[in-house]
Amino acid sequence: MEAKYDFERKYREQILLCSRCGFCQAVCPVYGATLRPGLNARGKMLLLKEVMDGRIDLSDELIETLFQCTTCASCTHNCPSGVPVPEIIKAARKDMVAIGSCHPAFKGMNEVLKKHTNIYAEDEAEDFGRQKKPAAKYVFFAGCVGLYRENDATEAALAVLDKLNVDYTLIEEVCCAGVLEDVGFALNDALVQTNIDRILATGAEAVITGCPYCARTLNNKMQYAPLRAKGVIIMHIAQFLKDYDLGVHTDKKVTYHDPCDLGRHCGIYEEPRQTIRKLAPNFVELAHHHADALCCGAGGGVRGAYAKNSIDMARRRLKEVEEIGAEVVLTECNSCVHNLGNAKLRKQKFTICTTTQFIHDLMEETD
Amino acid sequence: MEFESYNMPDELYYEPNHYWVRPEGDLLVMGMDDFARKLAGQIVFVQLPEEGKLLKQGKKFASVESGKWLGKVYAPVNGEIAAANEELETNPGLINQDCYGVGWMYKIKPDDMAEVQSLLHGTEAVQKWLVEEIAKFAKGA
Amino acid sequence: MIDERIKQDLIQIVGQQNYTDNLIDMVSYSYDASEHRARPSCAVWVENTAQVSEVMKLANREKIPVTPRGAGTGLSGLSVPAHAGIVMDLTRMNRILELRIEDRLAVVQPGLIYADLEKALAPHGFFFPPDPSSGKVCTMGGTVGTNAGGVKGAKYGTTRDYVLGLEVVLADGRVMRTGGKTIKNVSGYDLTRLMVASEGTLGIVTEIALKINPKPTVTTTAMATFNDLEDAGRAVAEVMRSGILPSVLEILGRETILAINQNTDLNLPEVEALLLAETDGYTKEETDFQMDKVAEVFRRNNPGMVKLAASQGEAADLWKARKSAYAVLARIKTHFVLEDVTVPIGKVPALLKGIQAIAKKHDIQIATFGHAGDGNLHPQILYDGYDPEQVKKMEAASDELFKLAISLEGTLTGEHGIGLSKAAYMTLEHDAVSLDMMRTIKRAFDPNNILNPGKMALDAA
Repeated sequence: MEAKYDFERKYREQILLCSRCGFCQAVCPVYGATLRPGLNARGKMLLLKEVMDGRIDLSDELIETLFQCTTCASCTHNCPSGVPVPEIIKAARKDMVAIGSCHPAFKGMNEVLKKHTNIYAEDEAEDFGRQKKPAAKYVFFAGCVGLYRENDATEAALAVLDKLNVDYTLIEEVCCAGVLEDVGFALNDALVQTNIDRILATGAEAVITGCPYCARTLNNKMQYAPLRAKGVIIMHIAQFLKDYDLGVHTDKKVTYHDPCDLGRHCGIYEEPRQTIRKLAPNFVELAHHHADALCCGAGGGVRGAYAKNSIDMARRRLKEVEEIGAEVVLTECNSCVHNLGNAKLRKQKFTICTTTQFIHDLMEETD
Repeated sequence: MEFESYNMPDELYYEPNHYWVRPEGDLLVMGMDDFARKLAGQIVFVQLPEEGKLLKQGKKFASVESGKWLGKVYAPVNGEIAAANEELETNPGLINQDCYGVGWMYKIKPDDMAEVQSLLHGTEAVQKWLVEEIAKFAKGA
Repeated sequence: MIDERIKQDLIQIVGQQNYTDNLIDMVSYSYDASEHRARPSCAVWVENTAQVSEVMKLANREKIPVTPRGAGTGLSGLSVPAHAGIVMDLTRMNRILELRIEDRLAVVQPGLIYADLEKALAPHGFFFPPDPSSGKVCTMGGTVGTNAGGVKGAKYGTTRDYVLGLEVVLADGRVMRTGGKTIKNVSGYDLTRLMVASEGTLGIVTEIALKINPKPTVTTTAMATFNDLEDAGRAVAEVMRSGILPSVLEILGRETILAINQNTDLNLPEVEALLLAETDGYTKEETDFQMDKVAEVFRRNNPGMVKLAASQGEAADLWKARKSAYAVLARIKTHFVLEDVTVPIGKVPALLKGIQAIAKKHDIQIATFGHAGDGNLHPQILYDGYDPEQVKKMEAASDELFKLAISLEGTLTGEHGIGLSKAAYMTLEHDAVSLDMMRTIKRAFDPNNILNPGKMALDAA
């Protein structure tokens, strides 16, 4: 039978790898927060199998599950058969968009990025009181969350770079556009080109970003190949800072939340810890850490489209922070900071912030 | 009154960012109005400042969020926070459910109750304001 | 589609947010971990016994089938709604109600995940011995419904040995309590034992009182290789004569070993059979003493090599091999059927040889692994489910497999249950009188045949 959809052409074998064992129920954050098998990785594979077998068709009815996946890859990591669920879901989303069955939040996002420079349709970007230099060794790329939701975290990161006398500049950045391909659309070429041009104009040898998702986009998407072809290295600030001696210390009980985009998706687990261990001898791991880390619930567009469930997922992660009695949760992703921050209850007295924010705060204390 | 499908009770005072204010004894109760509620969509996070937090008229003191939207909440008068609606911590959807009743957000102790008069009030004034707002948001976002 | 009036009645009972007939839920609820499929008309999430009772009253009155469900990881189609109707998802009833260490008692709800029970018991130095491989996701209601086993069965028994009492909602909505909270109880008929392994056909379990055990703190692990299946089988049987009950005695057949090596970097020796044994206790002297006896038995039966794990790390590696078997085998072909035929321990060599012969005869791949220590093997038949020829071969091979097990005084299923998968073979194992009694009991409990109908061959004649 000829494949009707692209997702089947690309991923038929992989979908058939799913043996229905259901082990993904142990780790899928959406399932964990809702206990609804239709939203679990297995449920999604069963649906797509039925589409491939011609029993059902892609339609609006499937939006609620196909567009409710944080693409955290916890399922793949735990799947005895190694089914690459997030990749399959992203492909299915493209087919859904093609037939006009798209979640309104994502259709909206695509429209927003045609007219605005960022996913929030905000008009005024912070300039953080820093002049944009015509040339510099590094470009600091904040990402939409860093510019419009977690400005303090970005300010802190810049302040730390200032203290370390790093030769960097901000640029008039626009959304990296990576999220579009995850929600069934294509990267916005105009935005991509703008970023490439502005980065190259500075002659920078590397881009440092606070956003693991932007890092992945610039590093992996073929649309950003011209940037990489010029030898520009893209790194996350955690990789940049790991060998620095920042000269600050804390006795507080500190833990670290591995962001999905930095951890499972990039394999970057030790660099952040290297920095944290230097400044926090009282460091403890959460119950689920490294490749087993629980997703904060924000990714894959879920924070925009299914915000309530997204917050519930974040709450499950914060329970683990309570369980180990940590006073500070550090992480390396502004989206995680934002979602976890929204989910934190007032009675939970720990603080949540990026590592650079924490470093900045300690630096301020000692000044 | 009902205007263009928006419910804007006449007895309330309106802060131009779409928050309503209602005198209750010597306190003011504050919440989001129907227009903003409809625009924002499902509210998932409401920042609840601590009792005693000082408020300066026109200055942001809290934020409210739906999936992708972030709204800033500005102090309608000078004063301090007397209470925040604790229910909103785990059930922010109360604002969507009943923005004028159980979805109230803050209780304020004003320095001077008279400052309330600087806010929009009365059917005519509110309607005129709404017309402008509807037009503004129709071509925006 | 469910009748609108009944839909409204269900919503009245469980609330709008706990009722669904959405396509995405209906498709999900059509499956468990077996190859069976059947779509329900709707599903409800229940939160307490009262709701379960009300739903059953309604279903009984309207004669609508109800299929209870936990994590849906069953391997025989037990939670597949064969006759459509309502799927009752019990996963939201997932709390530990009581934990009384001095009474060796844990009272839990059916939706509690096995791993969460373990997590709660661990700080007290206790454990729940039957440990199904799906423990990270499976629910206690499911373990009771199938009398789940696990790798520790040979020494510690299975779920039924640990269920002290239940709260059960019957097909007509009446609620009853069986057993109690005492370790021993012979008061009245043992309805508890009847309910365990009844696969959701006699009642819906809403509360479970479990016996729990103190957990031995030390283990010794060993591995032995064999170039002849019969030698391995004999070694297993003879362990019973050694005076020692190892806590674990597992077997991996050649096909399984090859698959593991292809998919991991464990680099196991590619032999006919590999035995993995564990002894447990409270001191190293104790566990080593026991393992020495077991190793002696291995050595007497022509092993390739016998190796005691020298460290926790080495033991962990050996365990990784066993735990990965099901998974790596699942990747080989598009489909598989995982059987769990069980024979008296002394017949294990004959079963192993018989499985090999069947695979050869039908020209189909069968990889075997399993709980050699209690005679419960898992032959996994691997085939391309989209190739009708292969499907025929699989069915023929399955058929012979069941007949072989029965001929060796064995049973069709040691722990996965009959469900849909083995229903057709019930007459092979059970005489007409016992089948008649089973159906009589079923009728007494569920005169309208609405509880998980179509399973276990209970419907026939």
